[in-house]
Amino acid sequence: MFNKENKLEKFKDAETIIGASIKVKGNFQGQGDIIIEGTLEGSLKTDANIFIGDRAKVVASVESKDIIVNGEVRGNLKAKNYLAIGGTAKIFGDVQYGEISIEKGATINGQLLMLAEENRRAEKIKVEEREEGSGK
Amino acid sequence: MINRMEIRLTDLGLNGKIIRLGGIKNIKGTIQNEIKLGAKTIIAVGNNQTVNKIIGAIIDTEIYSDFQKKTLLGIIPIGDDNSIASSLGIKNSEEACNILLARRIEKIDLGLADKYYFLNQATIQSAGATLEIDNYTLQVSERGEIKIINLLSDNKETIKSNPHDGKLEILIRTRKNDETYLTSSRFKISNPSEKLIIDGVAEIETPVEIGVMKDKVAVIVGKERMFE
Repeated sequence: MFNKENKLEKFKDAETIIGASIKVKGNFQGQGDIIIEGTLEGSLKTDANIFIGDRAKVVASVESKDIIVNGEVRGNLKAKNYLAIGGTAKIFGDVQYGEISIEKGATINGQLLMLAEENRRAEKIKVEEREEGSGK
Repeated sequence: MINRMEIRLTDLGLNGKIIRLGGIKNIKGTIQNEIKLGAKTIIAVGNNQTVNKIIGAIIDTEIYSDFQKKTLLGIIPIGDDNSIASSLGIKNSEEACNILLARRIEKIDLGLADKYYFLNQATIQSAGATLEIDNYTLQVSERGEIKIINLLSDNKETIKSNPHDGKLEILIRTRKNDETYLTSSRFKISNPSEKLIIDGVAEIETPVEIGVMKDKVAVIVGKERMFE
C-alpha cells in the first residue's frame, strides 16, 4: 500500500481527508483509510490505514493497521501491521509496530516496541475476520 | 414553452392533470390533495425551486403516508438552476419527456436540514464554521465553502456520491486550496455569520441538525444520471 514517496497509493479511495486548514477535536474513529493534513487533538483510530502529512499536527493516540507519518505526532502510535516514518516526521510518544521503516531525518522521542509475533498474528486474524465480515 | 411541452406529452400518450403553481398559495396542500385523489406520479415542470417545493409536499406529512409511499417524482427542467434534473440525468425538457415515458425508477436518499429537504446539496461559507459529528468537532477558520452533498450535480467533481448509502458527503474547500472530505449520516453545523443554502433555493440560520432519510423518494431518472 505504500510507495517510495510515502504517499497513499489509493489516495482517492480514502474514507476521510482532513485538510491543512481544519482543526479536529475529539475521538475520531473510522473504518476506512484516513488522511490527516491538518490538526487533530484527541484520539485517532481506524481498522484500515492512516496517512499523516508533513504539515499535520496530531496531539492524540493513533491506532490502525498501517500508518505513514510525515508530520508531527504527540501521543502514542500503534501500527498493528506496518509503520513508515518519513524524514520530516516528529514523534513524541511511544511507538508500537509490526514492521517499521524509518527515513533519515526523522525525530522520535519515545520507546520503540515491536509487537510480539503472537500479538501480530492475533491482530492479523482479527483484521482478516473483519474484512471478510465486511465483504472486502 | 409549457404549451409545447403539453402537446409533446400528449403525443407520447402521457396524459394527466396540469396544475399551474404560480398564484397558488398553498402549494403543499394542493399537491397533497391530488395524491389523496390518487395521483401516482407528480411531474415538476420548472427548476430546482419547483422540485424542492414539490418534494416537501410529496413526503412532508404522515396523514397520506400510504399514498405518498407510492408517489413517483418526475422532472421536466425549464429555465436556469436545474442541477437536480442534471443529477438525475435529465438534460433538457425534450429529453425529459422521453425519460418519463421510459419510466426508469430509482429510490434515493433525501437530505434533511431542520425541516427542509434537499436532493442535491446544502452549502455554507466555511470561515468560522463548526461541525459536530459523533464524538468530535471540526473547526474551519479559512474562507471557502462547505458542501453537504446528497446527490452530485457536477460530474466533473472529484468525489463520488452515492444517494443510496444513507450518508451525506461533506466536502470543505478553502481558498488555500486544501480539501477536506468525510461522510456522515447525522451531524450539527453552525456558522454564526452565514446561512445554510438548501439546494440553492432556501436560506436557513444555523446551528442546524443535518440528517439523511434513506431511499425516501422515488424518482424517474435518465440513463445519464450521476449515480449508480
